[in-house]
Amino acid sequence: MSELSKFTDEEVVELTRTKDKESYAEIIRRYQDKLMRYALYILRDEDKAADVVQESFVKAYINLNGFNTKRKFSSWIYRIVHNQAINLIEKHKKELPMLGNIDFDSGVDIEKEYSKGEIVKMVKQCLSKMPIMYKEPLSLHFLEGRSYNEISDILRMPIGTVGTRINRAKVLMKKICQKQTN
Amino acid sequence: MSKTNKLDFESKIISQIKADEIKMKPKWYFILGSLLLFTSLVGLSMGVVFLVNLSAFLIRRNGSFNAWKLQSILSVFPWWIPVIAVGGIFLSIWLLKKYDLSYKKNFKLIIAVLVIAMLMGGFLLDRLGLNEYLSRGRMRRYYQQFEMQNINNYPTGGRGQNNKQVNNR
Repeated sequence: MSELSKFTDEEVVELTRTKDKESYAEIIRRYQDKLMRYALYILRDEDKAADVVQESFVKAYINLNGFNTKRKFSSWIYRIVHNQAINLIEKHKKELPMLGNIDFDSGVDIEKEYSKGEIVKMVKQCLSKMPIMYKEPLSLHFLEGRSYNEISDILRMPIGTVGTRINRAKVLMKKICQKQTN
Repeated sequence: MSKTNKLDFESKIISQIKADEIKMKPKWYFILGSLLLFTSLVGLSMGVVFLVNLSAFLIRRNGSFNAWKLQSILSVFPWWIPVIAVGGIFLSIWLLKKYDLSYKKNFKLIIAVLVIAMLMGGFLLDRLGLNEYLSRGRMRRYYQQFEMQNINNYPTGGRGQNNKQVNNR
């Protein structure tokens, strides 16, 4: 099992598919914390997040043969968690609206205004108050360290839209955090 | 998240895998799915092209759109053909969206190209004389039905009535 740690995700997936089903444990070990954190950002409920992550691992295993190993496994499994979480939200309708009609100022200088570290702190405090459409790309980028390209794969939207959402999310977050401190 | 939950994921899922309670779907299932998606998209596109071609043919057969003729054309035209064609276009777009990487491309442009290609394909087939060929060949009966429907449904003073009068004589 310790040898598995040297393998890439895609190699472990290939091994699970062809030789050793139990290698899937390595995938679970690698992703359980990350996915749990991501599900928590979206759902803000530990039990629901745990359910979503577990269902996602099961779903990923069932559909493992449908995964294209030429692509990134991380984006694929994050996508499954995203879908499961959104399904749960739609089922319960307790979450903030998916599409918020919020007016934004031009966010051109926002990037310069905040350092990444400051943003990480702010994100954690204010994230729960943001609509999902902004919360997700922001948490994936700043808290999970995913690239725009990966976020584009996870959320199934063009890279340009990811950039726009992140910029808007930063502006929105600034407003939310300012309100909070006032 | 608590430590117990963390351990639970691994032990729960692996024990389910070992007990064969959860099984991987076979590779052919996904290959078949992709093939079905592809053939449905191609088949649907071809169907739409054919229906556009048929619509173009029927419009041509009814003559030019003179103002006095427009009402007659509107009343006898088999509207279900273009309606199904439009439905087919929407279904094709929906199928296209199912493709994994559709979000990476300029989807609006892809849709525009698909729709234009279908319409142009339809009109081109009509211009190339496919309908004339089909109406003389295996599909003669269907084409005759369309034409008879047009003749019988023609409003008073139209071509149909004249034909009926001629037949009665």
